[in-house]
Amino acid sequence: MSATDQNDLFVRVQREDFSVDAEINRVRSRSKRIGGISIFLGTARDHSKGREVDSITFEHYEGMAQKKLREIRERALKDFDILELLIVHRHGEITIGENIVLIVAGAEHRADAFRACKWAIDELKQITPIWKLEHTPTGEVWVEEHP
Amino acid sequence: MITVKLFGMTKSLADNQSSLILALGKNQSVKNVIDLVNKRYPKIGELIYNKKVLVSVNQEIAHEDTKVQEGDEIALLPPFAGGTVSRKAQVPR
Repeated sequence: MSATDQNDLFVRVQREDFSVDAEINRVRSRSKRIGGISIFLGTARDHSKGREVDSITFEHYEGMAQKKLREIRERALKDFDILELLIVHRHGEITIGENIVLIVAGAEHRADAFRACKWAIDELKQITPIWKLEHTPTGEVWVEEHP
Repeated sequence: MITVKLFGMTKSLADNQSSLILALGKNQSVKNVIDLVNKRYPKIGELIYNKKVLVSVNQEIAHEDTKVQEGDEIALLPPFAGGTVSRKAQVPR
């Protein structure tokens, strides 16, 4: 499989839900040297800044979102002692409790798996053009988490 | 003519259009694009001037002086939905 095809599998923005097990196995299969896998799973919660949330719509900038996620994966592979990093983010309407985003980091040792996973989700939230529209009983709100 | 993609609240402020088509001359920059947007939708212009909304050109964040030409992909980017850092996480141990 070419490097480009690998990127397509390990960095995805998609409407459909994902299987955490399947994505962990995708990372695990990359190297037998992986001894620790750290994951972050973001899910939709029913309250945000004091308001009740019925569902969330995620909007993304097709093309740029994937570009930024690929950059995050490449930087993580370069800056941390990890063997693989996978990022999947959903878009479209998501109901409360459902999966939103998954980061899976595989490394020989757990310390860098934890560090890379945390760094990747923190970076994703800073640089990725994805927006959240919360549907509440009193109307719709575009969420601005960063000042 | 150039197309400016709109996302998030900028769409809401532009009558729910997902893009604007603007007549842009030659040798123009992002600043000229912003001024054109501001003429049509001053509320969006104000957000851009106050750096609340960023401008991207060809999928990279741009600044006012970035050159713009026919065929470039331009987008207005409100603050990304970054999630919330919990108060507990901010208290040093």
